[in-house]
Amino acid sequence: MTHKFFSHQGLSSLVADLLTAQTRVIAPVCAKDDPAQVDYQLIQNVEEASFGVRLPRRSLKEFFLPPSEVLLHYKQTKTGVEIREVPTVAPPQVIFGATPCDVAGLAAVDKVMNWDYRDELWFGRREATTIVSFLCNVMDSTCFCTAVGSGPEATTGSDVLLVPVDGGYLAHLVTSKGEALLQSYGLPVNEAMMATAQAAQSAARDKVTPNLPAIPAEFAGWLARNFDHPVWKTLALRCHGCGACASVCPTCHCFDIVDEHESVDEGVRRRNWDSCQTALFTTHASGHNPRGSQSERFRQRIQHKFSIYPSRFGEILCTGCGRCSRACPGGMDLPTVVAELVALSQAKPEVSGQ
Amino acid sequence: MSELQETARKLLSEGTVSVVIGYEEGPRGVRPAFITAPAQADKLIFDTRCVQNLATYLNPRRKQVAQLGRAAVVVKGCDARAVAGMIREKQIERGNVVILAMRCGGVLQNPETNSELTTQTVSVRCGGCTVREPKLFDHLLGELPPEPPVNTHRVEQIAALMKMSSSERWTFWTEQLSRCIRCHACREACPMCFCVKCTAEKSQPQWIDSSSTPQANRAWQTMRVLHQAGRCVDCLECERACPEHIPLGLLARYVADSVERRFEYTASDDPTVPAPIGVYRTDDDEEFIR
Repeated sequence: MTHKFFSHQGLSSLVADLLTAQTRVIAPVCAKDDPAQVDYQLIQNVEEASFGVRLPRRSLKEFFLPPSEVLLHYKQTKTGVEIREVPTVAPPQVIFGATPCDVAGLAAVDKVMNWDYRDELWFGRREATTIVSFLCNVMDSTCFCTAVGSGPEATTGSDVLLVPVDGGYLAHLVTSKGEALLQSYGLPVNEAMMATAQAAQSAARDKVTPNLPAIPAEFAGWLARNFDHPVWKTLALRCHGCGACASVCPTCHCFDIVDEHESVDEGVRRRNWDSCQTALFTTHASGHNPRGSQSERFRQRIQHKFSIYPSRFGEILCTGCGRCSRACPGGMDLPTVVAELVALSQAKPEVSGQ
Repeated sequence: MSELQETARKLLSEGTVSVVIGYEEGPRGVRPAFITAPAQADKLIFDTRCVQNLATYLNPRRKQVAQLGRAAVVVKGCDARAVAGMIREKQIERGNVVILAMRCGGVLQNPETNSELTTQTVSVRCGGCTVREPKLFDHLLGELPPEPPVNTHRVEQIAALMKMSSSERWTFWTEQLSRCIRCHACREACPMCFCVKCTAEKSQPQWIDSSSTPQANRAWQTMRVLHQAGRCVDCLECERACPEHIPLGLLARYVADSVERRFEYTASDDPTVPAPIGVYRTDDDEEFIR
């Protein structure tokens, strides 16, 4: 990996140049409805951005999988049905100031979107996007990225990682896309900068590590074997099944596909965010729901993130951002739940032969 | 042991109820608690962080709670209106729930903070509260704290909206509702949204498109707030649940004010008082129906 140094001014000039070149730039911006909060938004000039203030309220996924998007237009004609698919090529865009947990979320969803079917809309946007993330220093007591294999300094999914050093940032050029973006920018680094950056990265990691111990590898198997454990009955008592957790989650990616008429003979096929936390998600046409209570729906959330996805892709479908806990009106807290389940999984050794 | 804890312990140990739904200290401030053993009753707390309306958990279709058995529920005077609403609308039977009503001096907007009640931090719904001493209860508990400060934020917002031209208001709500992602978290967190099948989920015909489009978002929120007319208890759980931070309480408050003006009715904590939607009066002049 190569490295470069950017002064604050140097970074501003880069963003300004991108905007002048009509590149879409997305950055954390103070929320209009609550100046204490931050949202990822398209910016018009670099002054709008608020880097490193706090974790944005929503993750980056809406820029790749919008809450609702048109897949195709259809029109009934005298001879049949005309289908017009939407373009899968997206305009170039750069995301500045992403948190490593959000970028790791995109990398996790990549695997699903390229699993049994390659989702061209998702990858059209992914390929058109260059991501510059920042070393996270906005963690709070609800963050647990280090427990799920990520970290405030993680580079998974990022093209560039910026780490604050004296007078500016040290840039880790993670991918060739990142190198291309910064090709004609930046200054050489020296050993002192590298040491400062390394210290900042370790310090950031140390801040979040105590929040939740690393989830043991055996946990996925324990979950799979304990689908009918009585703990599920009482784990989700306070859960409303509102799905706010899934909306703000960087890795929840489920969607529903609907056809909607726009006139007598024309319409659109859309896909809309969906969530396993709602009853309708699994309700059959007959009216039967195999996940009939919130206990079962919440179990699905935990099983998918910590057992089903790991069994397919070898890692956890959670990046430890803690947004689900912050968004929950019922006071559900994922790190607490996971800690409780991990403790249970380690409480008594399973009898051999079972 | 507090009066609340003692009452809960007694109800559980005597077998009057199988679960006490109350508040406890959680990892992020106060959270709902489901106490099933007398020995755990000392977990129960009640203070200014107890924002949540626990009546929501009495919905018989919350199977995970219903399976615990007969419940006692801790309510504030305002939350008692939701219990009354559920009794009035035959969702629960009065004799089948034990109401532990707390005398209340106002709550914060956010159950995670532990700040003083000020005009900025107190919930907008606490101003002018008439039920600090709840009227619907089996056990009335706690000392009556002083009146809370008044947060005028929402009153000012509504006044500002009413001063706008209709096209300005349209612009305001179009912008707000453009953020709606149709997750229906507002509905799920609402104690008075207990329909077996929501209109938004009916597909034959599809009254409201499930996609988040300007038209469907408007239709959804308008439908929901109209179905809440005279029923909404203004607990603002919808607003707390909304992951997009849409000020849904403004819509609900506006409709509640209209109901009050037209029918001299506010969501009552007396389950025997019928709501306007449930009565037919020959002297109703219906002057606004043209």
